[in-house]
Amino acid sequence: MARTSAWRSALLAGLVAAGGCNEKLTTPGRCPELCPSNSVQLVDTLLTGADVADTTARGYVLTNEATYVAASSLDSLKSVFLIRFAPVQTQWAQTATDTVQAVYPPDSVFVELPLVFRDTTVHPRIVFYRLPAWFDTTVTYAQAQAYFVDSAVLDTVAVPDTGSMEARLPTGLVPGPGDSGIVSIGARVIADSPTVVAFSSGHSRTTWPQLWYFVHGQPPQDSLTRNLVDTATFTTFVQSPAAGQPPPGVLAIGGLPAAHSLIHFSLPGVVVDSAGIVRATLILNLVRPVVGFPGDSFFVNAVPILRDYGPKSVLLPDTTLVGVAVVHAGQTGKVELDLARVLRLWGTTVGDSMPRAVMLGVLAEGYTLGEVDVWGHSGSGGGPLLDVTYVKKHEVGVP
Amino acid sequence: MTRTRTSLLIAAALLAARPAAAQESVFGVRGLGFLAQPISAHSAAMGGGESMFDGNSAVSPASLAAWQKLAGWAVGAQSNRSFNPGSGAVSLNSMRFPTFGFATPVGYRLVVGVTVSEYLNRNWEVQRADTVWPRGLAVPVADHSRSVGGVSDVRFAAAYRVSSRIAVGIGLHTLSGSAQTAVERDFPTDSTYHTFAQVTETDYRGFGVSLGLLASPTKRLVVGASARFNGRLSATNPGGNASVRLPSELAGGLYVVPWDGITVATTIIHDSWSVAAPDLVAAGQLPSRDVWSVGVGAEIALLRMFGEVVPLRAGYRWRQLPFPVDTALFVSERAASGGITFSLAGGRANLDLAVQGGSRTAGTLKESFTTILVGLSIFP
Repeated sequence: MARTSAWRSALLAGLVAAGGCNEKLTTPGRCPELCPSNSVQLVDTLLTGADVADTTARGYVLTNEATYVAASSLDSLKSVFLIRFAPVQTQWAQTATDTVQAVYPPDSVFVELPLVFRDTTVHPRIVFYRLPAWFDTTVTYAQAQAYFVDSAVLDTVAVPDTGSMEARLPTGLVPGPGDSGIVSIGARVIADSPTVVAFSSGHSRTTWPQLWYFVHGQPPQDSLTRNLVDTATFTTFVQSPAAGQPPPGVLAIGGLPAAHSLIHFSLPGVVVDSAGIVRATLILNLVRPVVGFPGDSFFVNAVPILRDYGPKSVLLPDTTLVGVAVVHAGQTGKVELDLARVLRLWGTTVGDSMPRAVMLGVLAEGYTLGEVDVWGHSGSGGGPLLDVTYVKKHEVGVP
Repeated sequence: MTRTRTSLLIAAALLAARPAAAQESVFGVRGLGFLAQPISAHSAAMGGGESMFDGNSAVSPASLAAWQKLAGWAVGAQSNRSFNPGSGAVSLNSMRFPTFGFATPVGYRLVVGVTVSEYLNRNWEVQRADTVWPRGLAVPVADHSRSVGGVSDVRFAAAYRVSSRIAVGIGLHTLSGSAQTAVERDFPTDSTYHTFAQVTETDYRGFGVSLGLLASPTKRLVVGASARFNGRLSATNPGGNASVRLPSELAGGLYVVPWDGITVATTIIHDSWSVAAPDLVAAGQLPSRDVWSVGVGAEIALLRMFGEVVPLRAGYRWRQLPFPVDTALFVSERAASGGITFSLAGGRANLDLAVQGGSRTAGTLKESFTTILVGLSIFP
């Protein structure tokens, strides 16, 4: 009994002691007397030669894979767009038991183009042209001019401020029986002053070009009507100057066909091995003003490389590591991207074997006309710079 | 069966209650940390004056001779502190476990025991705001440093009753422990900067040996002396290795019973911490100094409650701390104390309650504290 009582007393005493426990330890630092003897020290370093190799490759998204088609009369960019629709159906019936009716000739035909971008300060109009059904999909801007002749004009329509643009086309545009059934059209823009207009392409996920044709039945079913629609099977635009490989010393990012630029870095160990990188800014000097729809902005990003196979490198699929910068059409000067997370990754055991390289590209490629041209490491305008702010190696506890 | 169960329970309690205690002083951020005192609650109530003779305290191995049967003990301490760093007073509090252990007689004259105590407390947490100038622009920063851990002293000791008036003891000390230091710098107003955080764990190892002597030349007087000799304290972390020479400790004390039921005791301790100075300076720290610790107290065992004697204690202590907060700016500590002991379970357990109130000062810096200690001893 006494033994049981002893342990019960001990338990009670323990509970009394533990019940009063609480912790509040944080002291406002009064330095240097009551602060740790070694404080955090920031170091700034501007690495001018960190970019040791770079290259540009184009074609990651082709023009006929973009989500828009553009017609431009800008001095810096001339373009026309080309659309091929699916074969027009030749017959229709109101119900399964009704008499099958022929589509040709339709009552009316019009094309619907969802608007993506227009410059509201000008009054652009779109001139539609009839193209050969099987036009050459590899045609250049210069070669395409052969299609854009007055004899092939279908209609000229003012571009609305919003929504979709609709253009009534000749009913004869729809091929008759025995034909391929394919309708192809081209378009260019005319306006009071140079401008650019963009519409959804066949690769847009929400809206796309459509070819509507309206038909009615033959007697005695001539009271029956039907609206039929075709969607585009091929959309593209051709431009001048054509986007190509940038000149030596220049790196291209974005545009269409979309360009990526790969930059290999050589970084001092004191930077990479410092787990304390608090800011790392990749500074890209622009060769020319940022290209894009007037007033538009888009994102340039830098993605770390997981495996280096040049232009076909495998990118690290971690969006939290991507450095992003917003650029504006017409912007000059420089573009700055945050690479702190990437450099931190390279300093870890996991990232130690990764190539010290990033791929520069445009976020949402194919959705923008935007292109950024910057000086590479061999360029005359000052190659990429890396401005790194890091914590000097912090040693604690010894002794 | 009962004895085995009791031993297991004590062992489990020893394992669970590690003295990885919390911050004991704002001054613990300097040097090797805050120098702990491995004394029991009832010694603390007497200002530490009884610690030389107290079997629950780890000052002298000879004091284990006080145990004549199996015993286990543990001490918990809740500390509430007030400190003004210049920007307004702040209240701090913490819980720690200064010492615990057990002892058992082996035969009639020999007593062996194990004591686990705090040696150096490296728990601290500091926050400060500052402005730095990276890239030529002012950027506000918030620094947060935290250390958790410390160095524990595990003493394996034996005391031998040479005669009814003389006891000697020897202790082997293993110093071990670790401190996890976390440093964080945040940039609260500038999102272009990423938070810096680093955690470093440092392990500590060291050894020591202690000798003790208690002699009772008369029926009402006991004198005590002890000496402790330490090796080097080695510290290892990913940043490297270092070692610091640890001090030798010499202690002496008197335990007087002038009248029945009244006891007066004092203990004086000297630690030669200046031997650590060269190693600390080499590590970028300020040099340490030799320190003294003096405690004196009295116990009156005349009060009876519930049929049991209830000893009342009071005491005063003063001590120096070895690590400066600035060049030649050292810390001293003084405290008054009092306490009471309740005998429980028919004399098979003691509950010691003690309270200390005092201050630590270094120049104009002053930290006031009140510590409540709860000690439990079991003699199953």
